[in-house]
Amino acid sequence: MKFSRHTRTATAVAGAAAFALLAVGCSSGASSAEPASSDNPVTLTVTTFNTMGFDDLYKQYESEHPGITINATNIDTGGNALTDWKTKQAAGAGLPDVQAVEEGWLGQVMAVSDSFTDLGEYGAADIKDRWIPWKMDQATDAEGRVIGFGTDIGPVGLCYNKDLFEKAGLPSDRTEVAELLGGENSTWADYFETGKKYQKATGKAWYDQSGFVWNSMVNQLPEGYYKADGSLSIEGNTALSERWGELADGAAAGLSSAQTQWDWGKGQAFLDGSFATMVCPGWLLGNLKGGIEAAGGDGDSGWDFADVFPGGPTNWGGTFLTVPTTSKHPAEAAELAKWLTSAKSQVEAFQSAGTFPSVLEAQTDPGVTGSNEMSEFLNDAPVGEILASRAQGIKAQFKGSNDSVIQEQVFGPATIALDKGTDGKTAWNDALTTLKNLDLK
Amino acid sequence: MTSTISPPSGPAQQNGRRDPESPGGRGTGPVTRPRREWRSKLGALDVKASPYLYIAPFFILFALVGLFPLVYTFVVSINDWDLLSGAGEWVGLQNYAIELKDPYFWNSLFNTFSIFMLSAIPQLIAATFIAAILDQNLRGKTFWRMGVLLPYVVTPVAVTLIFSSAFDEKYGLINNLLQMLNLDAIGWKSEVFPSHIAIASMVNWRWTGYNALILLAAMQAVPRDLHESASLDGAGSFRRFFSITLPSIRPTMIFVIITATVGGLQIFTEPKLFNPSSSTLGGPNREYQTTVLYLWDLAFNRGDFGKASAVAWLLFIIIIGVGLINFFISRSIASAGATSPGKTARAARRAANKNIQRSGHSPAAHDSKEHRR
Repeated sequence: MKFSRHTRTATAVAGAAAFALLAVGCSSGASSAEPASSDNPVTLTVTTFNTMGFDDLYKQYESEHPGITINATNIDTGGNALTDWKTKQAAGAGLPDVQAVEEGWLGQVMAVSDSFTDLGEYGAADIKDRWIPWKMDQATDAEGRVIGFGTDIGPVGLCYNKDLFEKAGLPSDRTEVAELLGGENSTWADYFETGKKYQKATGKAWYDQSGFVWNSMVNQLPEGYYKADGSLSIEGNTALSERWGELADGAAAGLSSAQTQWDWGKGQAFLDGSFATMVCPGWLLGNLKGGIEAAGGDGDSGWDFADVFPGGPTNWGGTFLTVPTTSKHPAEAAELAKWLTSAKSQVEAFQSAGTFPSVLEAQTDPGVTGSNEMSEFLNDAPVGEILASRAQGIKAQFKGSNDSVIQEQVFGPATIALDKGTDGKTAWNDALTTLKNLDLK
Repeated sequence: MTSTISPPSGPAQQNGRRDPESPGGRGTGPVTRPRREWRSKLGALDVKASPYLYIAPFFILFALVGLFPLVYTFVVSINDWDLLSGAGEWVGLQNYAIELKDPYFWNSLFNTFSIFMLSAIPQLIAATFIAAILDQNLRGKTFWRMGVLLPYVVTPVAVTLIFSSAFDEKYGLINNLLQMLNLDAIGWKSEVFPSHIAIASMVNWRWTGYNALILLAAMQAVPRDLHESASLDGAGSFRRFFSITLPSIRPTMIFVIITATVGGLQIFTEPKLFNPSSSTLGGPNREYQTTVLYLWDLAFNRGDFGKASAVAWLLFIIIIGVGLINFFISRSIASAGATSPGKTARAARRAANKNIQRSGHSPAAHDSKEHRR
């Protein structure tokens, strides 16, 4: 008995080993340069994050391209996706054929840009007019190699709750709200002044927390935490410290509701009147809707979207599709990335996930500008139209190698400190100390 | 082991030794000798090498997944190594020097030990008493015993999600209850001590029942006649618990303490997921950033693989240090407690005769006793 069991195990092991060898043989055999067809099947792996709205598109692509199978992984948040990418990049293995890359990672991605396929070799030049110019610039490295095709961008508008505005005696129509905050020439001073009036009238906070306000203030500047030459520029940067002063002044006046970022009390804060406005990049509308629904609310919760932003147009976030050089099917992968970033695909992605396209033709498509689920949820605000208007005049800001770390670890705690009552100067100095301790370059 | 090895090798060896002593041989010599010598050599090799071969799989596996990463981590730690762009310059022990001066490193150590103390001590006390209660004649024994193990079955991720929601500062269950009682809300996720208590409570919830079952097993091994004779002598149940049960389960207690130490110093999941939306790992101002979390942050957020590896090695050394302290404490307790467990000791105690008691001991216990004097 014992003997036969041993032989059986041995057979199983040998069988598994043979199978593994076979599998390795297969996958290396398929890496030929021949194009994919039903005779030469190719499996493409894709890694995305958050909600990108590609699920139906994959199926469509598979049926239009016989022989191609798409194996997609979606990671819950951008932060986790960054960790995933970094780990695999560091290990030099496990990267997918198509990797979604967020704008905030660009500093780190560009430092290793040679590990991404130059999409110029796969016809990037022919389609470069698809995108708004600055999106294409962001995806081009110092040597002029195009490493990504743009999907969405994050033009920022202002979310506000019209019911709360009405109760406070403020105008609540979205064009009037835009006017109230200064319209085209809206400044942060306008925003904080109106906030103080609101706070006096209601005793409630004006915005959810200081962190997101600060991020948009920094993103808006021609140069943020880094100078365009790549050197760190925070200490003694008057543009930054002046804005910090305004933000600290607002927090001291009780304008911040001190909510937890990305949580908002599991959405309850959107419904209980804790705050009346929020800075809203296009993709954040999805979080707003999700949060309201999670807390049991619906389209009657009073939230609306206004075509105005203090301090002028700005971009926050956005994504690119890249092809890591480890891909065995770069041609097929580039083809898929190209297809996913076509105007038609981008319109569909916007409709299912609210991600505002960086493709010009898609921005003016009725599918984007017209009514959809998101606009109905936000009191029939023409979301696509407003985002397209907010995208006018955006200039891409240089992102340094540790931009995201500074945003999260240096100014994350500092903005929380402001919300908890620390005065602006102390919080700023604490941030500088943190920066020094972290020893970032 | 010996019985399986000796039969084939024994006779071969003997034959091999005899042959040279009887030069003429018996005719079979010239033909069989080379084969026999070969066999005897093989036999000798078998005796000498086989045991090593049998234990080799463990060591080969350990070398692959334990020793190699350990050495490789050290190599990384003496280089300026970026996560993405790879090895840079050789910097010697500079990474260690920098980390030993880094306030965040010391902060993480403080947090780790604080959470460890807050979890290990109440946990062991609670586990001991739960075990003592389970050791009584309860109805539905199996039900209660399985019941205390239930928290252990739930994955730590799920536990953390539930506790994280309960400890939420603005909308959490616990702060809502406090506010209903007109008490101030507590900054469970932004203050040092409350956050440590919150995380320790997760650890305790998960591990108390598990440890209670191990201690229960030890308690059940304590002979009942000891309890009986003690109660005949008029000892109450508390007296019996402290004078008989506790000393008898000391070796198990030490095992529980050591496993709790190793686990406690490497705590990661609970602080990592306690506030997943926090921009800085382990609280806005690193209130509950443990050392492993700090290491992870260094490697995967700040991309400094060299320094992260240095921290890994420092933590390794610290765990060895704490392990050694535990070892010495356990050795002294074990020899002190050697009078209680074991049949001879029991017989000795009954006779209440110190001389008999000593002679009944194993030489090892004697040695350590004399050593202590």
